Amino acid sequence: MTNAREQSGELVLSEEQALEIITFLVSSAEICLHEPIYYGTFRLIDGASRMIGYMLEHDPSRTAEFLRGFKDEIDANKTLMMSDRESYYAFLREIPAKAAAELKRFREA
Amino acid sequence: MGEATLIVPDALLQTMRRRRVTRSFTDSPVPDEALGQIVEAGRWATSGGNRYPHRFMVVRDPERIRLIRSVAPGMLPLPPALIAILIDTEQAGADSMRVEVEPMHWVDVGTAAMNMMTMAQALGIGSCPVTSFSKSGVATMLELPANLVAEFLLILGYPASAKRATNPNAPTPVTARDLTYWEHVGEHDPASTPRDGT
Repeated sequence: MTNAREQSGELVLSEEQALEIITFLVSSAEICLHEPIYYGTFRLIDGASRMIGYMLEHDPSRTAEFLRGFKDEIDANKTLMMSDRESYYAFLREIPAKAAAELKRFREA
Repeated sequence: MGEATLIVPDALLQTMRRRRVTRSFTDSPVPDEALGQIVEAGRWATSGGNRYPHRFMVVRDPERIRLIRSVAPGMLPLPPALIAILIDTEQAGADSMRVEVEPMHWVDVGTAAMNMMTMAQALGIGSCPVTSFSKSGVATMLELPANLVAEFLLILGYPASAKRATNPNAPTPVTARDLTYWEHVGEHDPASTPRDGT
């Protein structure tokens, strides 16, 4: 069985971009050893934003609209971590459902 | 009385008060002359024992900055320039500083960084301190010899006119009164006013 991504044949990250994301993730893992625990959530959500930014450079035909809005939402809310932690946590609780719905829509299309 | 200062104290305080962490930059490059003034300000920061164990590295190459950003999760925007503050561990060791166990050198790093940020603000340049990075990753990207360790990254650029979101739940900014005791713990500047008006 092939999924939608394989059917479309689209590549949405270059090797270099993928390496940059990997480097970002392992660097984040290291600094999580000494940063406040909740910073780890920020690194994950920021990593998602960075990866979406790279994906949008390839203009993915089936997810671009969702990704653009999703990235905007992440970027508008992620720094609440530094000023309003409760709102930030509420934001974290909300967004997985949006990504999940998009994944479901993508696979069923 | 000391020498007369070249700037009035109120102007200096206003420069300090107006400085904000900048997380969105324009693409405009920071002129070399301005970068030179910023590192000059860092040079005039205090250094314990007059030891100066730190070195500054100015980076303007966009490709290099992009690589550094990949190992610096605390670097949110992609800046036009950055200054890395490094510690020369060989020199520090020769001065009997134990950088692995004693954080004395962090004071030197901090005073230099603050002077640089104040100068940047005076020049109309935005800045953001970055301490969340992998030291080994930055050493690789900057091709540092083993004796130089990155302790601080100061990213610089002209602030983009990003709209500042108003957040009603944001904490009230601290005041000097909040942070300061006069003579004894719990006693404040008699001329100051508490924030609740009591």
